[in-house]
Amino acid sequence: MRKHDRPKAEAPIDIKKPLVIVAAAYIVLVFLFYWLAGDQLHFRQSRGNLDLPAAEAGTVELTQGAVVEQVFKADIQRFQSVSVQWGTYYRPNAGTVTMELYSLADNSLVMSQSFDAAAISEGGLTTMSVDTPIETAYGVPLLLRIYADSLPGGAVSPLMSVSAHEDGFSLTVNGAPTDGVLCFSASGEDYIWTGLHYWKFAAGFGLLLALGIAFVWHRWKSGKHSYVVNALIAVQKYRFLIRQLVSRDFKTKYKRSVLGVFWSFLNPLMMMCVQYFVFSTIFKSDIPDYAVYLLIGIVSFNFFSEACGMSLTSILGNAGLITKVYVPKYIYPLTRVMSSVVNLSISLIPLILVSLVTGVQFKKSAVLALFFLACLVVFSLGLGLLLSASMVFFRDTQFLWGVFSMAWMYATPIFYPESILPEQFRFILTINPLYHFLKNTRMCILDGLSPEPFIYFQCFVIALAMLLVGALVFRKTQDRFVLYL
Amino acid sequence: MSQTMIEVNDVTMRFRMNNDRIMSLKEFVTTALRGKLEYNEFTALEHVSFTVEKGETLGLIGRNGAGKSTLLKVISGIMKPTEGTVAVHGNVVPMLELGSGFDFDLTGRENVFLNGAILGYSEEYLKEKYQEILDFSELGAFIDVPIRNYSSGMLARLAFSVAAMVRPEILIVDEILSVGDTEFQAKSRARMMELMGGGTTVLFVSHNLEQIREMCSRVIWLESGRIQMAGSTENVCNHYVI
Repeated sequence: MRKHDRPKAEAPIDIKKPLVIVAAAYIVLVFLFYWLAGDQLHFRQSRGNLDLPAAEAGTVELTQGAVVEQVFKADIQRFQSVSVQWGTYYRPNAGTVTMELYSLADNSLVMSQSFDAAAISEGGLTTMSVDTPIETAYGVPLLLRIYADSLPGGAVSPLMSVSAHEDGFSLTVNGAPTDGVLCFSASGEDYIWTGLHYWKFAAGFGLLLALGIAFVWHRWKSGKHSYVVNALIAVQKYRFLIRQLVSRDFKTKYKRSVLGVFWSFLNPLMMMCVQYFVFSTIFKSDIPDYAVYLLIGIVSFNFFSEACGMSLTSILGNAGLITKVYVPKYIYPLTRVMSSVVNLSISLIPLILVSLVTGVQFKKSAVLALFFLACLVVFSLGLGLLLSASMVFFRDTQFLWGVFSMAWMYATPIFYPESILPEQFRFILTINPLYHFLKNTRMCILDGLSPEPFIYFQCFVIALAMLLVGALVFRKTQDRFVLYL
Repeated sequence: MSQTMIEVNDVTMRFRMNNDRIMSLKEFVTTALRGKLEYNEFTALEHVSFTVEKGETLGLIGRNGAGKSTLLKVISGIMKPTEGTVAVHGNVVPMLELGSGFDFDLTGRENVFLNGAILGYSEEYLKEKYQEILDFSELGAFIDVPIRNYSSGMLARLAFSVAAMVRPEILIVDEILSVGDTEFQAKSRARMMELMGGGTTVLFVSHNLEQIREMCSRVIWLESGRIQMAGSTENVCNHYVI
């Protein structure tokens, strides 16, 4: 084994500052996230939501005196709304229909609402909802009663499914028990466990972080080097080199092109235009805000394929240096990924421009998209390390990667909606990390909603796992690189 | 002054070379599974030990393939020895071959900083030394021209200037002094002498015995990976026969 003593002249590093910065950043992020995630941190669409069964028949013509009653149970913590599907006999109807919801636990009226029968269309829904969600309806038997004051020949009919059957559900038409289920749906929200305990989580992780900082500080004081301190020393020592290499990549990329840096944002813009034309006119897709949907996909995937493609050759391409000067070898793939990050940030400009032009409103949740982009960066770095190491030993890697990245592109919903995938291929999306990053980036920007807390954790773990695998393989093999270059 | 800069302890460097490097994946897997992968062991260095004191200029001589370059790579940290240890106290600056570490699309100025960064110098230090480097290289206005337009002589000047104008603690020179015109050669030799006088430890590889005699205080003669002879310049050079 060899030891490289640090030269005595090296400036003593100040470890207090970075540690304080880490602690401060954590506190700021905890509050920022709480504010940005908003309601989605606390509630999600209830898993107990009841879906509309397929309509198979009408129940009864709902004239004055007729009553349809459906008893049901729903595991919804914050009950918000009930909808009923109607048939109209394809004729104009008149009168008023009334929906009432009772809780059978104490026989109280929970909500009620009346609708104009004339406004109901065939297969249409009437939805009654409350402003303050009902928190007492969880698992309690509920009674939905529907009646009207219409005259025969001008009355609508609630639809039902004859074949559906659910435990604890019973349908009564004009007092007579009937087989089947009324075509109705119920929805609400559930509390998110992590959201309820957000501050406890934040404090717990904060405590762990504080312990970690104290540990590092203690080791440092007693003159021992922990991993963290070593990393800080490396950052300080190689900061200048990393900056030089990144600026080299960037300068040489557009050298001798007339438009120079402009290409960084013209490129995704032009690609978007072509694909927008192809998929919105030829293949007719009906995704809302398709231009932005497409651009988010293009920008993310461009970054991914550029970062991985450049890392792939980073060790081989710098063979001349690696065999002459000692520099930690991870610097080479790292700087390649970093220059791609610079490109990524530039290509966010057209994304913002196109959003403004097409009228996509940025909500505060758009900031959270940065989290998923950061996950993508970490993931790409991990994969880049893996690829660059593998490329040294098997030159076939670059050809395989060419095919593989193309397959990966098609397996990611960049320009198509995820709904076009048949059910049996759905698993491809589930196992595709890019899909998760992309889906949530889009959700933050396009829907203005934050994904539920678990999704953040999931994406973070995926990215970190890839980085760990890449870094381990790289570390294990790096000593042998020079023999194969 | 007698501070040890480099300690090489019983270093052995073995390479494994496949009998046939180009084989199909299927063949590779099947032979590997049968445990019949054969390697030719090639020993580039065998039980080499020596120390270098601060301010010494150590010459390395030997035939092609004697292990000189491998030894330099082990010392500069590029390769890990199969056996034995190397301890280096100070920063090692290799004098780069023409072009390696340079980016041909960048200007001379940008390359000075890029190269300086690769050699491990800080930004402040390079900014401070930049004028000195420029003056020494005598490139003048050419410094702002992309170096793909440089002649090989100009490239060599730039490379030497960056490596030598900064004050490395250990400088590794692998056959480089024969570049540039006569005038620049004389100048770079003078600079080397100056560096050595200023306490820089130099490892010097050359086939030119004249140069070795002129510059080195001690010489090691390598022969197929072993130290054939080590000692004062005069003594070793007199015994060295090709």
